[in-house]
Amino acid sequence: MIPLLFLSLAAPFITALLLMLFRSSLNQQSARLLALGGSLATLVLAAILSSQYYSGAVRPLESSGTPLTSSADETSAIRPKVEFRQPWLSLGGDAEHPEVKFEMYFGLDGISVAMIALTALLTVSSVLISWESISDRASEFYASVMILEAGLIGVFCAFDIILFYVFFEMTLIPLFFMIAIWGGPDRRRAAIKFFLYTLAGSLITLSGLIGLMVYTSGEGLATPSSLPALSSWIAAHPIEKSLQVTLFLAMSAGFLVKVPVFPFHTWLPLAHVEAPTAGSVLLAGVLLKLGSYGFLRMCLPMFPEACVDIGLPVIGLLSVIGIIYGSLCALAQRDIKKLVAYSSVAHLGFCMVGLFALNTEGLTGSVLQMINHGLSTGALFLIVGMVYERYHTRMLDDIGGLAQRLPLIAVCMVFIAMSSIGLPGLNGFVGEFLSLAGMFRQDPLYAALATTGVVLGAWYLLTAVQHAFFGKLREPHGHHGDHDTITDLKPREFVALAPLVILCLWIGIRPATLIDLIEPDVKAVADIYTKTTDAGAQ
Amino acid sequence: MSETTQQLILWLIPVAPLLSAVITGLFGPGILRYRSHLPCWAALAVSFVCSLILLLKILPGVETGALTNAVENAATAENTSLQLADKPEVIATGYQWLHVGSISVDVQLRADSMTAIMLSMVTGVSLLVAMFGSGYMHHDPGYPRFFAAVSLFVFSMCMLVLAGSFLMLFVFWEAVGLCSYLLIGFWFQKPSAAAAAKKAFVVNRIGDFGLIMGMFLIWQTSHNDAYPFLSLNFSDIFGNPELLQQIAAAQPERVKLICLCLFLGAMGKSAQFPLQVWLPDAMEGPTPVSALIHAATMVTAGVYLVARCTPLFVLAPDAQLVVTGVGATTAAISALIGLTQTDLKRVLAYSTVSQLGFMFMALGCGAAGPALVTPAVTAGMFHLFTHAYFKALLFLAAGSVMHAMGDVIDMNRFSGLRKALPITHWTFLFGAAALAGVPLMAGFWSKDDILAVLGEASQSEKYGSFFSIIRYVAMGTAALTAFYTFRAYFKTFWGPEKFPEEAGHHPHDASLVMAIPLGVLAACSVLVGLAFGPTHMFAGTLQRIQGLTLIDPSQQHLHWGVMAVSAVIAAVGIGGAWFFYVANPKLPGTIAGALKPFYAASTGKFYLDEIFTGLIVIPLYLTAKICVLFDRFVIDGIVDAFGAVPKMLSAIPRHLHSGIVNNYAGVMWAGVVAAVVLVLSIF
Repeated sequence: MIPLLFLSLAAPFITALLLMLFRSSLNQQSARLLALGGSLATLVLAAILSSQYYSGAVRPLESSGTPLTSSADETSAIRPKVEFRQPWLSLGGDAEHPEVKFEMYFGLDGISVAMIALTALLTVSSVLISWESISDRASEFYASVMILEAGLIGVFCAFDIILFYVFFEMTLIPLFFMIAIWGGPDRRRAAIKFFLYTLAGSLITLSGLIGLMVYTSGEGLATPSSLPALSSWIAAHPIEKSLQVTLFLAMSAGFLVKVPVFPFHTWLPLAHVEAPTAGSVLLAGVLLKLGSYGFLRMCLPMFPEACVDIGLPVIGLLSVIGIIYGSLCALAQRDIKKLVAYSSVAHLGFCMVGLFALNTEGLTGSVLQMINHGLSTGALFLIVGMVYERYHTRMLDDIGGLAQRLPLIAVCMVFIAMSSIGLPGLNGFVGEFLSLAGMFRQDPLYAALATTGVVLGAWYLLTAVQHAFFGKLREPHGHHGDHDTITDLKPREFVALAPLVILCLWIGIRPATLIDLIEPDVKAVADIYTKTTDAGAQ
Repeated sequence: MSETTQQLILWLIPVAPLLSAVITGLFGPGILRYRSHLPCWAALAVSFVCSLILLLKILPGVETGALTNAVENAATAENTSLQLADKPEVIATGYQWLHVGSISVDVQLRADSMTAIMLSMVTGVSLLVAMFGSGYMHHDPGYPRFFAAVSLFVFSMCMLVLAGSFLMLFVFWEAVGLCSYLLIGFWFQKPSAAAAAKKAFVVNRIGDFGLIMGMFLIWQTSHNDAYPFLSLNFSDIFGNPELLQQIAAAQPERVKLICLCLFLGAMGKSAQFPLQVWLPDAMEGPTPVSALIHAATMVTAGVYLVARCTPLFVLAPDAQLVVTGVGATTAAISALIGLTQTDLKRVLAYSTVSQLGFMFMALGCGAAGPALVTPAVTAGMFHLFTHAYFKALLFLAAGSVMHAMGDVIDMNRFSGLRKALPITHWTFLFGAAALAGVPLMAGFWSKDDILAVLGEASQSEKYGSFFSIIRYVAMGTAALTAFYTFRAYFKTFWGPEKFPEEAGHHPHDASLVMAIPLGVLAACSVLVGLAFGPTHMFAGTLQRIQGLTLIDPSQQHLHWGVMAVSAVIAAVGIGGAWFFYVANPKLPGTIAGALKPFYAASTGKFYLDEIFTGLIVIPLYLTAKICVLFDRFVIDGIVDAFGAVPKMLSAIPRHLHSGIVNNYAGVMWAGVVAAVVLVLSIF
């Protein structure tokens, strides 16, 4: 499976390389075909990867293949089932300085498999949705998309800190260019704000990561950059609490901005509004999850006490505020893309609420919410993009009754809105419900406040649907002549949207498939906290 | 009947409409078009037959026969199996839906007698409404969409009553809400329909908030701080009354909170004060939908929930009082509003809200004493049952009026229709008589049961005075009900014959496909009360569920006194309506003029919509605006201020980089001089 993993990491890189090398000879048509080929190849690889992982790790008994196991020991909360390790640097080794080794550590566990599959899927949709809207410097644009995909896949399969951080930062650059070159009127300011804000946060995170490595190597851990090793070492040698808090706060900085948790979210609406549709889809669909994924991988296993003492009360509270505040801001928006952007703040709030519930229900809900939000918000941005492509407006005041002109898009919109609202039977509900249930076990008041987001979510999204798609037909002025040429869902758009819609339904009806995939890894993290609370109770 | 057959029949009840929904949804617009009703009819017929088999054959058989698959929790106590012996239930398990940590919920069908009663009522009424709908909706471009949504609704509603756990119930609770949203907004081009659909969904979500919190509270309820339920299955929660009683004794406040949270959910779905605001607006949907969803079935889901949770509610008398109180308030207020509405469908909508209030009034009577719990729940559920038939009938008849009048439903614009629309007239009359509580009609028996239970409750020591007030409210409301129902009847069908322009020259009565359902429902409105009420068939079947005790029919007696009183009440109401709207048609206007403030309040629906808007909607939008401003100027302002720091720091040094070569040369020259001086001074 490792070759497969490297192939799916390399495919977008190679595509991007080709696109850049031959950019002068590639026109829009050949560039987008090449990008589509590359992203489809990655998707196929990711699909094979997931199915092999599923049969190997989740259902080992039913398949003939050998069960996948981990080299990390039982005490570690992070146990990739598939791994590739290659030492590349070692320091010290004399009497005074014990040897410290750094290795490249690629791996896969259920969470990473799910996130990689999501990334590959959304990239194909992003390429398809840019098909006609991106005509200027197309090959550079698609190269950015492919590099972004490569970076995202890299983050999710990196199991050592240095590799993780390299990929984590690598995702910034292509998105920066996507916003700054192919974005809306205020694209430069949006791109700079996005870049500097997230970079400033992640530099603080870097200091935390370095601090953790320096401390653990000083205390005798030979491989301080390997996440599984760190996790099992910390389980045996708990870090002193004040240091835990310091490192936790430092590391959180970048992740809080990335998620984004209230009040670190103001770069997000701006970036979304200015970004091209493909950028918004990948930004909301995958990139934001790097924050919550970072918390899950770096903070929760390493700093249990800090998470209980600060994470739960403080970040939990901020997330609850984010849910309500984000929903209220969404309610007042007239720009539908900004509305979806603020809804992301609220939805990621649910994700963080689940994460800092610090139990199996909450954590499972949180990871589900990461995937569900990727699917439904990705699809929402796709639909907003489709409407924009047709009418060149995103303002709710300019459009209305579009269901008469675009019935199929309207059906998709209602469907995705319901998924995003958290209608049971579709994907959104499962994640939200588990996150809230998990938080209810920890803090009923937080859970109750967060649950009001369920009411507000229905309110703002259905208001938007009502204004844009129902009521009297209202189309922007200035396009009277060509209104008849406006067509409903095109085959290309259908291909971009349909997989997301099907997955939304499938996860809602059979969440067990996805839960089986992620639960063992989630439970390993949650077990740290059941032990902590058990110890506290005695 | 073998176990496999039983399970197959159980599965067919929800799966048939689901298949129909999928088929109609996929092939309706392209292939079936105006034949889209066929799959729906077939599926609903299958469901209906299966429900009847379940009610009449399977469940009575379970009692004596194999109980093994029903007894899942036999291990918990020795006497459980004894209790279950007269509480038969059939369970069919599908697949594991959600299994995470301590949450474990399966897709499972669980049928006991209450479920079976609900199922046969739901599928029967839906079948009739679907028949009517194919006549009513013909030539509508959304024909396939209509039948797909109706099928989906019936599937969800069946699953709702078949749910064996709170979470499954919630899933389909929301699913029926979705169908309601889709069908209210069926004519989405109409701004009012689009707004009403959204309002219904959002207001229901407020109730859902309560239901979610209730579920969490139940899930985390622990006994002696040690053993949480960690389950959402009805069998785990209701199956062990002793444990429940211990919990209630130890944590009365918690049980009360749970009940109130669950009731909040019920208030949303069943449109109880103050969450009733969505139901009258929901009349924007096609009339068959109003009949099916917003009168007969979905809106009773809240009543069903409270009845289902009887084992919990009996442990929280305060919560029961709230249930009764809210029910009485709702019943009275909406009856008063119903007095003056001129839109025929809205009159019926308010009467639905009012009748739902009656059901809740009954359900809470258990607070007066444990002996009253079973009669109270039976009365409430019986009213739910009879109400479904006569209210569906009234709505369909109103739909028939609307169909003939060219979609005009304002009673001021037509009158004297009894000659032109004889079928509609007679069927409407039966429905109105049943609703008004004319003796021997369906509504008479069930309303009587409620009044009788209230009467007994008012005798209790503890809450006697409370229930006597409620009882008088109920009686007054019953008189108002008779009055406004017959006001609508007289205004529509009596007086001089008058048609609106939209109706054309010769308004035609219901076609055959619409007349048959009307006739069947009219027959039901006469018969269901008489057949199941005084014979105790309904009570005898219903009382075989957990939480209720089977009352020996020989102990039951008819409440002659109550019956006499309610016959008088009905007569007064109907007579009043006749006096005002047939004998002296000028009088209502005079009275309205004399009682202007009250009349204005009633036509203005007591300004509840405005109050709702003023108290919730506007403040929320204001807060939202403030949040946006705060976001822009405070939070983002701080961020931008940080961004400005480097710029400020560079303000002075920046002047050095002026780009003027002379300056650079000057500085360089000064530097060279300084260096030379320095070097010279050293040597």
